[in-house]
Amino acid sequence: MMKRNSLRDEIGKKVLLFDGGMGSMIISAGLGRNDVPEAWNITNPEAIIDMHAAFIEAGAEIVQTNTFGGSRLKLESSDAGRALDPVEVNEKAVELGRRALDRHGGEGCFLGGDIGPTGLFFPPVGTLTAREAHRAFKEQAQILERAGIDCFIIETMYDIREAMEALRAVREITDRPAFVEITFETKPSGYFTMMGDSPEKIAEPLLAAGADMIGANCTISSSEMIDLVEEFTLVTDAPLLFQPNAGNPAMEHGIPVYRQRPQEFADDIEKIVRAGASAVGGCCGTTPDFIRAVHDRLTHGR
Amino acid sequence: MEAFLDNCAKAIVAGDGGGAERLAGEALGSGLSLLQVIEEGFVRGIREVGRLWEEGEIFLPELVMGAEAMKKAMTVLQPALEGSDEAQESLGRIVIGTIEGDIHDIGKTLVATMLSANGFEVTDLGTDVPVARFIDEAEARNADCIAISALLTTTMNGQKRVIDELVKRSMRDKVKVMVGGAPCNEAWAKEIDADGYAGDAVSAVALAKGLAGKA
Repeated sequence: MMKRNSLRDEIGKKVLLFDGGMGSMIISAGLGRNDVPEAWNITNPEAIIDMHAAFIEAGAEIVQTNTFGGSRLKLESSDAGRALDPVEVNEKAVELGRRALDRHGGEGCFLGGDIGPTGLFFPPVGTLTAREAHRAFKEQAQILERAGIDCFIIETMYDIREAMEALRAVREITDRPAFVEITFETKPSGYFTMMGDSPEKIAEPLLAAGADMIGANCTISSSEMIDLVEEFTLVTDAPLLFQPNAGNPAMEHGIPVYRQRPQEFADDIEKIVRAGASAVGGCCGTTPDFIRAVHDRLTHGR
Repeated sequence: MEAFLDNCAKAIVAGDGGGAERLAGEALGSGLSLLQVIEEGFVRGIREVGRLWEEGEIFLPELVMGAEAMKKAMTVLQPALEGSDEAQESLGRIVIGTIEGDIHDIGKTLVATMLSANGFEVTDLGTDVPVARFIDEAEARNADCIAISALLTTTMNGQKRVIDELVKRSMRDKVKVMVGGAPCNEAWAKEIDADGYAGDAVSAVALAKGLAGKA
Protein backbone atom coordinates (compact mmCIF):
# COMPACT_ATOMS: atom_id res chain seq x y z
CA MET A 1 0.00 0.00 0.00
CA MET A 2 2.79 2.38 0.92
CA LYS A 3 4.55 1.72 -2.32
CA ARG A 4 1.49 2.23 -4.42
CA ASN A 5 0.88 5.65 -2.97
CA SER A 6 4.47 6.69 -3.14
CA LEU A 7 4.76 5.82 -6.84
CA ARG A 8 1.74 7.90 -7.74
CA ASP A 9 3.15 10.72 -5.61
CA GLU A 10 6.38 10.64 -7.53
CA ILE A 11 4.81 10.90 -10.97
CA GLY A 12 5.44 14.29 -12.43
CA LYS A 13 7.50 15.42 -9.40
CA LYS A 14 10.77 13.87 -10.50
CA VAL A 15 11.97 12.14 -13.62
CA LEU A 16 11.26 8.44 -13.21
CA LEU A 17 13.66 6.01 -14.86
CA PHE A 18 12.20 2.90 -16.47
CA ASP A 19 14.20 -0.12 -17.62
CA GLY A 20 15.31 -1.02 -21.16
CA GLY A 21 14.41 -3.59 -23.79
CA MET A 22 13.81 -7.00 -22.25
CA GLY A 23 12.64 -8.56 -25.50
CA SER A 24 15.74 -7.58 -27.48
CA MET A 25 17.97 -8.70 -24.60
CA ILE A 26 16.32 -12.10 -24.56
CA ILE A 27 16.81 -12.39 -28.32
CA SER A 28 20.51 -11.54 -28.04
CA ALA A 29 20.81 -13.97 -25.14
CA GLY A 30 19.86 -16.74 -27.56
CA LEU A 31 16.09 -17.04 -27.76
CA GLY A 32 15.27 -20.06 -29.93
CA ARG A 33 14.16 -19.65 -33.53
CA ASN A 34 10.56 -20.57 -32.83
CA ASP A 35 10.40 -19.58 -29.19
CA VAL A 36 8.65 -16.64 -27.54
CA PRO A 37 10.40 -14.44 -24.92
CA GLU A 38 7.73 -15.19 -22.32
CA ALA A 39 8.68 -18.88 -22.38
CA TRP A 40 11.87 -17.95 -20.59
CA ASN A 41 9.85 -17.13 -17.47
CA ILE A 42 9.42 -20.89 -17.19
CA THR A 43 12.47 -22.34 -18.92
CA ASN A 44 15.16 -19.80 -18.04
CA PRO A 45 13.98 -17.91 -14.94
CA GLU A 46 17.47 -17.10 -13.63
CA ALA A 47 18.33 -15.28 -16.84
CA ILE A 48 15.19 -13.13 -16.51
CA ILE A 49 15.99 -12.29 -12.88
CA ASP A 50 19.55 -11.36 -13.88
CA MET A 51 18.28 -9.04 -16.62
CA HIS A 52 15.87 -7.27 -14.25
CA ALA A 53 18.62 -7.06 -11.64
CA ALA A 54 21.08 -5.59 -14.13
CA PHE A 55 18.56 -2.85 -14.97
CA ILE A 56 18.00 -2.12 -11.28
CA GLU A 57 21.75 -1.93 -10.69
CA ALA A 58 21.99 0.46 -13.62
CA GLY A 59 19.52 2.77 -11.91
CA ALA A 60 16.09 1.77 -13.22
CA GLU A 61 13.33 2.56 -10.77
CA ILE A 62 10.57 0.79 -12.64
CA VAL A 63 11.13 -2.72 -13.90
CA GLN A 64 8.73 -4.16 -16.44
CA THR A 65 7.68 -7.80 -16.21
CA ASN A 66 8.52 -10.12 -19.08
CA THR A 67 4.89 -10.33 -20.15
CA PHE A 68 4.79 -8.15 -23.27
CA GLY A 69 3.34 -11.01 -25.32
CA GLY A 70 1.59 -12.61 -22.37
CA SER A 71 -2.04 -12.01 -23.28
CA ARG A 72 -3.94 -15.12 -24.28
CA LEU A 73 -4.59 -13.78 -27.79
CA LYS A 74 -0.91 -13.07 -28.40
CA LEU A 75 0.25 -16.38 -26.97
CA GLU A 76 -2.24 -18.25 -29.12
CA SER A 77 -0.79 -16.73 -32.27
CA SER A 78 2.31 -18.97 -32.21
CA ASP A 79 3.02 -22.64 -31.55
CA ALA A 80 5.48 -21.79 -28.81
CA GLY A 81 3.00 -19.43 -27.18
CA ARG A 82 0.13 -21.86 -27.47
CA ALA A 83 2.14 -24.36 -25.48
CA LEU A 84 2.24 -21.92 -22.56
CA ASP A 85 -0.36 -21.39 -19.87
CA PRO A 86 -1.18 -17.65 -19.69
CA VAL A 87 -1.74 -17.88 -15.93
CA GLU A 88 1.59 -19.57 -15.25
CA VAL A 89 3.58 -17.34 -17.61
CA ASN A 90 2.27 -14.09 -16.15
CA GLU A 91 2.39 -15.22 -12.51
CA LYS A 92 5.91 -16.48 -12.92
CA ALA A 93 7.00 -13.22 -14.57
CA VAL A 94 5.79 -11.24 -11.57
CA GLU A 95 7.57 -13.62 -9.21
CA LEU A 96 10.84 -13.20 -11.14
CA GLY A 97 10.51 -9.42 -11.13
CA ARG A 98 9.78 -9.46 -7.42
CA ARG A 99 12.81 -11.65 -6.76
CA ALA A 100 15.05 -9.27 -8.69
CA LEU A 101 13.69 -6.34 -6.68
CA ASP A 102 14.13 -8.24 -3.41
CA ARG A 103 17.69 -9.07 -4.30
CA HIS A 104 18.34 -5.35 -4.20
CA GLY A 105 16.19 -4.66 -1.19
CA GLY A 106 13.63 -3.22 -3.58
CA GLU A 107 14.29 0.24 -2.19
CA GLY A 108 12.68 2.90 -4.38
CA CYS A 109 11.98 0.38 -7.12
CA PHE A 110 8.63 -0.63 -8.50
CA LEU A 111 7.45 -3.60 -10.52
CA GLY A 112 5.35 -2.75 -13.55
CA GLY A 113 3.02 -5.33 -15.08
CA ASP A 114 3.73 -5.14 -18.79
CA ILE A 115 0.91 -5.51 -21.30
CA GLY A 116 1.69 -5.47 -25.02
CA PRO A 117 -0.62 -5.64 -28.03
CA THR A 118 -2.45 -8.79 -29.12
CA GLY A 119 -0.76 -8.62 -32.52
CA LEU A 120 -4.20 -8.77 -34.10
CA PHE A 121 -5.96 -5.95 -35.91
CA PHE A 122 -9.36 -4.33 -35.70
CA PRO A 123 -11.34 -3.96 -38.94
CA PRO A 124 -10.83 -3.09 -41.70
CA VAL A 125 -7.29 -4.49 -41.42
CA GLY A 126 -8.22 -7.55 -39.36
CA THR A 127 -11.19 -9.02 -37.56
CA LEU A 128 -10.35 -8.37 -33.89
CA THR A 129 -13.33 -7.19 -31.85
CA ALA A 130 -13.27 -4.87 -28.84
CA ARG A 131 -14.81 -7.62 -26.73
CA GLU A 132 -12.11 -10.16 -27.63
CA ALA A 133 -9.33 -7.69 -26.92
CA HIS A 134 -10.94 -6.60 -23.67
CA ARG A 135 -11.36 -10.15 -22.46
CA ALA A 136 -7.73 -11.05 -23.19
CA PHE A 137 -6.36 -7.92 -21.53
CA LYS A 138 -8.60 -8.27 -18.49
CA GLU A 139 -7.47 -11.84 -17.98
CA GLN A 140 -3.81 -10.83 -18.19
CA ALA A 141 -4.30 -7.79 -15.97
CA GLN A 142 -6.07 -9.87 -13.34
CA ILE A 143 -3.27 -12.42 -13.23
CA LEU A 144 -0.62 -9.69 -12.95
CA GLU A 145 -2.63 -7.83 -10.29
CA ARG A 146 -3.16 -10.93 -8.18
CA ALA A 147 0.48 -11.92 -8.48
CA GLY A 148 1.48 -8.56 -7.01
CA ILE A 149 2.67 -5.67 -9.14
CA ASP A 150 2.92 -1.96 -8.35
CA CYS A 151 1.68 -0.45 -11.60
CA PHE A 152 0.64 -1.32 -15.14
CA ILE A 153 2.48 -0.43 -18.33
CA ILE A 154 0.42 -0.83 -21.48
CA GLU A 155 2.93 -0.41 -24.28
CA THR A 156 3.76 -0.50 -27.97
CA MET A 157 0.11 -0.05 -28.85
CA TYR A 158 -0.34 0.68 -32.56
CA ASP A 159 -4.10 1.14 -32.37
CA ILE A 160 -5.71 3.52 -29.89
CA ARG A 161 -8.78 1.28 -29.81
CA GLU A 162 -6.71 -1.63 -28.54
CA ALA A 163 -4.90 0.56 -25.99
CA MET A 164 -8.25 1.75 -24.72
CA GLU A 165 -9.49 -1.81 -24.25
CA ALA A 166 -6.36 -2.66 -22.26
CA LEU A 167 -6.65 0.46 -20.11
CA ARG A 168 -10.36 -0.05 -19.46
CA ALA A 169 -9.67 -3.66 -18.50
CA VAL A 170 -7.03 -2.52 -16.00
CA ARG A 171 -9.29 0.17 -14.60
CA GLU A 172 -12.09 -2.34 -14.05
CA ILE A 173 -9.93 -4.26 -11.62
CA THR A 174 -7.66 -1.72 -9.93
CA ASP A 175 -6.88 1.94 -9.34
CA ARG A 176 -3.13 1.30 -9.38
CA PRO A 177 -1.04 3.67 -11.49
CA ALA A 178 -1.39 2.75 -15.16
CA PHE A 179 0.79 4.10 -17.95
CA VAL A 180 0.03 3.84 -21.65
CA GLU A 181 2.62 4.07 -24.42
CA ILE A 182 1.50 4.26 -28.03
CA THR A 183 3.92 3.52 -30.84
CA PHE A 184 4.27 6.21 -33.51
CA GLU A 185 5.83 6.29 -36.95
CA THR A 186 7.38 9.31 -38.58
CA LYS A 187 5.46 10.27 -41.69
CA PRO A 188 6.09 13.22 -44.01
CA SER A 189 2.98 14.75 -42.43
CA GLY A 190 4.10 14.22 -38.80
CA TYR A 191 3.88 11.59 -36.08
CA PHE A 192 1.09 9.06 -36.51
CA THR A 193 0.30 5.55 -35.43
CA MET A 194 0.07 2.92 -38.15
CA MET A 195 -3.68 3.54 -38.00
CA GLY A 196 -3.33 7.27 -38.50
CA ASP A 197 -3.82 8.61 -34.97
CA SER A 198 -1.84 11.64 -33.83
CA PRO A 199 -0.73 12.42 -30.26
CA GLU A 200 -3.57 14.90 -30.11
CA LYS A 201 -6.10 12.21 -30.96
CA ILE A 202 -4.88 9.67 -28.40
CA ALA A 203 -4.17 11.91 -25.39
CA GLU A 204 -7.65 12.90 -24.33
CA PRO A 205 -9.35 9.48 -24.42
CA LEU A 206 -6.48 7.77 -22.58
CA LEU A 207 -6.41 10.39 -19.84
CA ALA A 208 -10.19 10.36 -19.54
CA ALA A 209 -10.07 6.58 -19.12
CA GLY A 210 -7.69 6.93 -16.20
CA ALA A 211 -4.12 6.76 -17.50
CA ASP A 212 -1.65 8.23 -15.00
CA MET A 213 0.98 8.84 -17.67
CA ILE A 214 0.81 8.61 -21.42
CA GLY A 215 3.54 8.67 -24.02
CA ALA A 216 5.30 6.67 -26.68
CA ASN A 217 7.74 3.81 -27.12
CA CYS A 218 9.39 1.59 -29.73
CA THR A 219 9.45 1.96 -33.54
CA ILE A 220 11.41 5.22 -33.66
CA SER A 221 14.88 6.12 -32.45
CA SER A 222 15.75 8.34 -29.52
CA SER A 223 16.60 11.28 -31.76
CA GLU A 224 13.33 10.95 -33.70
CA MET A 225 11.42 10.93 -30.43
CA ILE A 226 12.55 14.37 -29.25
CA ASP A 227 10.11 16.31 -31.44
CA LEU A 228 7.34 13.86 -30.61
CA VAL A 229 7.67 14.85 -26.94
CA GLU A 230 7.12 18.44 -27.91
CA GLU A 231 4.04 17.49 -29.89
CA PHE A 232 2.63 15.79 -26.80
CA THR A 233 3.29 18.84 -24.63
CA LEU A 234 1.28 20.95 -27.03
CA VAL A 235 -1.83 18.84 -26.53
CA THR A 236 -1.68 17.86 -22.84
CA ASP A 237 -0.31 18.89 -19.45
CA ALA A 238 -0.38 15.28 -18.23
CA PRO A 239 2.84 13.55 -17.13
CA LEU A 240 4.58 11.98 -20.14
CA LEU A 241 6.57 8.77 -20.54
CA PHE A 242 8.93 7.94 -23.44
CA GLN A 243 10.93 4.80 -24.18
CA PRO A 244 12.62 4.98 -27.59
CA ASN A 245 14.65 2.30 -29.33
CA ALA A 246 18.44 2.39 -29.41
CA GLY A 247 18.47 3.90 -32.87
CA ASN A 248 17.26 1.92 -35.85
CA PRO A 249 18.38 -1.69 -36.03
CA ALA A 250 20.61 -3.08 -38.75
CA MET A 251 20.27 -6.75 -39.58
CA GLU A 252 23.41 -8.79 -39.33
CA HIS A 253 23.13 -12.43 -40.28
CA GLY A 254 19.48 -12.41 -39.41
CA ILE A 255 19.91 -10.82 -36.00
CA PRO A 256 18.93 -7.21 -35.32
CA VAL A 257 21.89 -5.16 -34.19
CA TYR A 258 21.48 -1.77 -32.56
CA ARG A 259 24.50 0.36 -33.26
CA GLN A 260 23.65 3.40 -31.17
CA ARG A 261 25.94 3.94 -28.21
CA PRO A 262 24.70 4.47 -24.67
CA GLN A 263 26.13 8.00 -24.52
CA GLU A 264 24.31 9.04 -27.71
CA PHE A 265 21.11 7.60 -26.30
CA ALA A 266 21.65 9.53 -23.07
CA ASP A 267 22.20 12.73 -25.08
CA ASP A 268 18.80 12.28 -26.71
CA ILE A 269 17.08 11.28 -23.48
CA GLU A 270 18.39 14.44 -21.87
CA LYS A 271 16.69 16.41 -24.65
CA ILE A 272 13.54 14.34 -24.24
CA VAL A 273 13.46 15.25 -20.55
CA ARG A 274 14.09 18.89 -21.33
CA ALA A 275 11.24 18.78 -23.83
CA GLY A 276 8.90 17.77 -21.03
CA ALA A 277 9.08 14.03 -20.24
CA SER A 278 8.23 12.96 -16.68
CA ALA A 279 9.56 9.47 -17.16
CA VAL A 280 12.02 7.85 -19.55
CA GLY A 281 13.43 4.44 -20.31
CA GLY A 282 14.39 2.37 -23.29
CA CYS A 283 12.83 -0.06 -25.69
CA CYS A 284 14.41 -2.41 -28.27
CA GLY A 285 18.19 -2.52 -28.16
CA THR A 286 18.59 -0.67 -24.86
CA THR A 287 20.68 -2.72 -22.47
CA PRO A 288 21.53 -1.92 -18.82
CA ASP A 289 24.49 0.12 -20.17
CA PHE A 290 22.00 2.46 -21.83
CA ILE A 291 19.94 2.83 -18.67
CA ARG A 292 23.13 3.45 -16.64
CA ALA A 293 24.19 6.15 -19.08
CA VAL A 294 20.79 7.80 -18.77
CA HIS A 295 20.86 7.47 -14.99
CA ASP A 296 24.31 9.06 -14.78
CA ARG A 297 23.26 11.85 -17.11
CA LEU A 298 20.05 12.63 -15.24
CA THR A 299 21.50 12.42 -11.74
CA HIS A 300 25.06 13.67 -12.22
CA GLY A 301 24.83 15.46 -15.54
CA ARG A 302 27.55 13.34 -17.09
CA MET B 1 -16.76 9.24 -69.90
CA GLU B 2 -14.23 11.39 -68.03
CA ALA B 3 -16.68 11.73 -65.18
CA PHE B 4 -17.24 7.99 -65.11
CA LEU B 5 -13.50 7.26 -64.95
CA ASP B 6 -13.14 9.87 -62.22
CA ASN B 7 -15.85 8.17 -60.23
CA CYS B 8 -14.05 4.84 -60.59
CA ALA B 9 -10.84 6.37 -59.28
CA LYS B 10 -12.68 8.15 -56.48
CA ALA B 11 -14.41 4.96 -55.34
CA ILE B 12 -11.01 3.33 -54.86
CA VAL B 13 -9.53 6.33 -53.04
CA ALA B 14 -12.59 6.45 -50.79
CA GLY B 15 -12.25 2.73 -50.09
CA ASP B 16 -15.83 2.34 -51.27
CA GLY B 17 -16.00 -1.35 -52.19
CA GLY B 18 -19.72 -1.29 -52.93
CA GLY B 19 -19.35 1.73 -55.17
CA ALA B 20 -16.37 0.24 -57.01
CA GLU B 21 -18.29 -2.97 -57.59
CA ARG B 22 -21.33 -1.07 -58.90
CA LEU B 23 -19.23 1.11 -61.22
CA ALA B 24 -17.45 -1.98 -62.55
CA GLY B 25 -20.85 -3.51 -63.24
CA GLU B 26 -21.97 -0.38 -65.08
CA ALA B 27 -18.81 -0.45 -67.16
CA LEU B 28 -19.61 -3.98 -68.36
CA GLY B 29 -22.73 -2.97 -70.28
CA SER B 30 -21.58 0.48 -71.26
CA GLY B 31 -19.62 -0.31 -74.36
CA LEU B 32 -16.61 1.43 -72.83
CA SER B 33 -13.21 -0.16 -73.24
CA LEU B 34 -12.81 -2.21 -70.08
CA LEU B 35 -9.06 -1.81 -70.28
CA GLN B 36 -9.48 1.93 -70.30
CA VAL B 37 -11.87 1.74 -67.35
CA ILE B 38 -9.29 -0.26 -65.43
CA GLU B 39 -6.24 1.76 -66.34
CA GLU B 40 -7.64 5.28 -66.39
CA GLY B 41 -10.23 4.69 -63.70
CA PHE B 42 -9.56 2.08 -61.05
CA VAL B 43 -5.77 1.78 -61.40
CA ARG B 44 -5.48 5.57 -61.31
CA GLY B 45 -7.38 5.34 -58.02
CA ILE B 46 -5.10 2.71 -56.50
CA ARG B 47 -2.03 4.70 -57.57
CA GLU B 48 -3.48 7.73 -55.84
CA VAL B 49 -4.07 5.60 -52.73
CA GLY B 50 -0.40 4.60 -52.84
CA ARG B 51 0.72 8.19 -53.21
CA LEU B 52 -1.47 9.43 -50.35
CA TRP B 53 -0.18 6.63 -48.15
CA GLU B 54 3.44 7.43 -48.89
CA GLU B 55 2.85 11.05 -48.01
CA GLY B 56 1.17 10.16 -44.75
CA GLU B 57 -2.17 11.59 -45.82
CA ILE B 58 -3.88 8.24 -45.35
CA PHE B 59 -2.98 5.23 -43.17
CA LEU B 60 -3.25 1.47 -42.97
CA PRO B 61 -7.07 1.27 -42.68
CA GLU B 62 -7.58 3.45 -45.78
CA LEU B 63 -4.85 1.58 -47.67
CA VAL B 64 -6.52 -1.74 -46.89
CA MET B 65 -9.95 -0.43 -47.86
CA GLY B 66 -8.63 1.00 -51.12
CA ALA B 67 -7.00 -2.30 -52.01
CA GLU B 68 -10.16 -4.21 -51.08
CA ALA B 69 -12.29 -1.91 -53.25
CA MET B 70 -9.86 -2.50 -56.11
CA LYS B 71 -10.20 -6.24 -55.62
CA LYS B 72 -14.00 -5.97 -55.78
CA ALA B 73 -13.89 -3.99 -59.02
CA MET B 74 -11.41 -6.39 -60.60
CA THR B 75 -13.48 -9.42 -59.58
CA VAL B 76 -16.29 -7.99 -61.70
CA LEU B 77 -14.12 -6.89 -64.61
CA GLN B 78 -11.61 -9.73 -64.88
CA PRO B 79 -13.95 -12.46 -66.21
CA ALA B 80 -15.44 -10.10 -68.80
CA LEU B 81 -11.99 -9.03 -69.85
CA GLU B 82 -10.85 -12.61 -70.31
CA GLY B 83 -13.84 -13.31 -72.51
CA SER B 84 -13.24 -10.25 -74.70
CA ASP B 85 -10.59 -9.40 -77.26
CA GLU B 86 -9.22 -6.76 -74.91
CA ALA B 87 -6.38 -8.65 -73.34
CA GLN B 88 -4.93 -6.96 -70.29
CA GLU B 89 -1.19 -6.92 -70.36
CA SER B 90 0.10 -8.74 -67.32
CA LEU B 91 3.13 -7.21 -65.66
CA GLY B 92 4.28 -10.65 -64.65
CA ARG B 93 3.53 -13.66 -62.48
CA ILE B 94 4.37 -13.49 -58.80
CA VAL B 95 4.18 -16.21 -56.18
CA ILE B 96 3.91 -14.72 -52.72
CA GLY B 97 3.73 -16.08 -49.17
CA THR B 98 4.85 -15.80 -45.57
CA ILE B 99 7.75 -18.12 -44.80
CA GLU B 100 7.42 -21.29 -42.73
CA GLY B 101 7.18 -20.85 -38.98
CA ASP B 102 5.56 -17.48 -39.43
CA ILE B 103 1.81 -16.91 -39.53
CA HIS B 104 1.79 -13.15 -40.05
CA ASP B 105 -0.74 -12.55 -42.74
CA ILE B 106 -1.75 -8.91 -42.98
CA GLY B 107 1.29 -7.30 -44.57
CA LYS B 108 1.74 -10.14 -47.02
CA THR B 109 -1.92 -10.10 -48.04
CA LEU B 110 -1.84 -6.36 -48.52
CA VAL B 111 1.25 -6.67 -50.74
CA ALA B 112 -0.48 -9.43 -52.72
CA THR B 113 -3.60 -7.32 -53.13
CA MET B 114 -1.66 -4.25 -54.19
CA LEU B 115 0.44 -6.25 -56.66
CA SER B 116 -2.64 -7.74 -58.24
CA ALA B 117 -4.44 -4.38 -58.17
CA ASN B 118 -1.53 -2.97 -60.12
CA GLY B 119 -1.58 -5.59 -62.84
CA PHE B 120 0.48 -8.57 -61.70
CA GLU B 121 -0.83 -12.13 -61.76
CA VAL B 122 -0.46 -13.07 -58.14
CA THR B 123 -0.60 -16.48 -56.48
CA ASP B 124 -0.90 -16.08 -52.71
CA LEU B 125 0.33 -19.21 -50.95
CA GLY B 126 -0.77 -17.94 -47.54
CA THR B 127 1.33 -18.18 -44.39
CA ASP B 128 3.69 -20.77 -42.91
CA VAL B 129 4.80 -21.73 -46.43
CA PRO B 130 7.63 -24.31 -46.60
CA VAL B 131 10.75 -23.35 -48.57
CA ALA B 132 10.19 -26.08 -51.17
CA ARG B 133 6.59 -25.03 -51.79
CA PHE B 134 7.62 -21.51 -52.84
CA ILE B 135 9.85 -23.03 -55.48
CA ASP B 136 7.50 -25.81 -56.59
CA GLU B 137 4.68 -23.30 -57.08
CA ALA B 138 6.95 -20.84 -58.87
CA GLU B 139 8.08 -23.60 -61.20
CA ALA B 140 4.57 -24.90 -61.83
CA ARG B 141 3.24 -21.43 -62.62
CA ASN B 142 6.30 -20.32 -64.54
CA ALA B 143 6.53 -17.36 -62.15
CA ASP B 144 8.80 -14.41 -62.80
CA CYS B 145 9.17 -13.55 -59.16
CA ILE B 146 8.88 -14.98 -55.65
CA ALA B 147 7.92 -12.59 -52.86
CA ILE B 148 8.68 -13.79 -49.35
CA SER B 149 7.41 -12.17 -46.19
CA ALA B 150 8.97 -12.76 -42.76
CA LEU B 151 7.86 -10.86 -39.68
CA LEU B 152 10.15 -12.48 -37.16
CA THR B 153 13.90 -12.32 -36.73
CA THR B 154 13.59 -16.02 -36.08
CA THR B 155 11.92 -16.81 -39.41
CA MET B 156 13.68 -14.42 -41.77
CA ASN B 157 16.44 -16.91 -42.41
CA GLY B 158 13.83 -18.88 -44.33
CA GLN B 159 14.07 -16.18 -47.00
CA LYS B 160 17.70 -17.09 -47.44
CA ARG B 161 16.89 -20.78 -47.59
CA VAL B 162 14.47 -20.16 -50.48
CA ILE B 163 17.26 -18.44 -52.39
CA ASP B 164 19.78 -21.17 -51.55
CA GLU B 165 17.30 -23.76 -52.75
CA LEU B 166 16.72 -21.85 -56.01
CA VAL B 167 20.47 -21.91 -56.59
CA LYS B 168 20.60 -25.60 -55.82
CA ARG B 169 17.87 -26.29 -58.36
CA SER B 170 19.60 -24.06 -60.94
CA MET B 171 16.57 -21.77 -61.06
CA ARG B 172 18.07 -18.64 -59.55
CA ASP B 173 18.55 -16.86 -62.89
CA LYS B 174 14.94 -17.56 -63.91
CA VAL B 175 13.18 -16.16 -60.85
CA LYS B 176 13.55 -12.83 -59.12
CA VAL B 177 13.21 -12.82 -55.35
CA MET B 178 11.86 -9.95 -53.30
CA VAL B 179 11.72 -9.91 -49.51
CA GLY B 180 9.82 -7.90 -46.95
CA GLY B 181 8.58 -7.83 -43.37
CA ALA B 182 9.41 -5.89 -40.23
CA PRO B 183 12.91 -7.25 -39.50
CA CYS B 184 14.13 -7.07 -43.12
CA ASN B 185 15.90 -4.21 -44.84
CA GLU B 186 18.08 -3.46 -47.86
CA ALA B 187 21.19 -4.79 -46.18
CA TRP B 188 19.50 -8.05 -45.37
CA ALA B 189 18.27 -8.42 -48.96
CA LYS B 190 21.82 -7.84 -50.14
CA GLU B 191 23.31 -10.24 -47.61
CA ILE B 192 21.09 -13.10 -48.75
CA ASP B 193 21.40 -12.14 -52.42
CA ALA B 194 17.72 -11.30 -52.93
CA ASP B 195 16.86 -9.04 -55.85
CA GLY B 196 15.22 -6.45 -53.68
CA TYR B 197 13.57 -5.42 -50.45
CA ALA B 198 10.36 -3.46 -49.99
CA GLY B 199 9.32 -1.92 -46.70
CA ASP B 200 5.62 -1.65 -47.48
CA ALA B 201 2.94 -2.60 -50.01
CA VAL B 202 3.34 0.55 -52.07
CA SER B 203 7.08 0.21 -52.49
CA ALA B 204 6.61 -3.52 -53.13
CA VAL B 205 4.64 -2.60 -56.25
CA ALA B 206 7.38 -0.24 -57.38
CA LEU B 207 10.03 -2.88 -56.70
CA ALA B 208 8.13 -5.60 -58.55
CA LYS B 209 7.65 -3.31 -61.54
CA GLY B 210 11.34 -2.51 -61.51
CA LEU B 211 12.30 -6.18 -61.36
CA ALA B 212 9.91 -6.88 -64.24
CA GLY B 213 11.47 -4.08 -66.24
CA LYS B 214 8.10 -2.28 -66.24
CA ALA B 215 8.89 0.58 -63.89
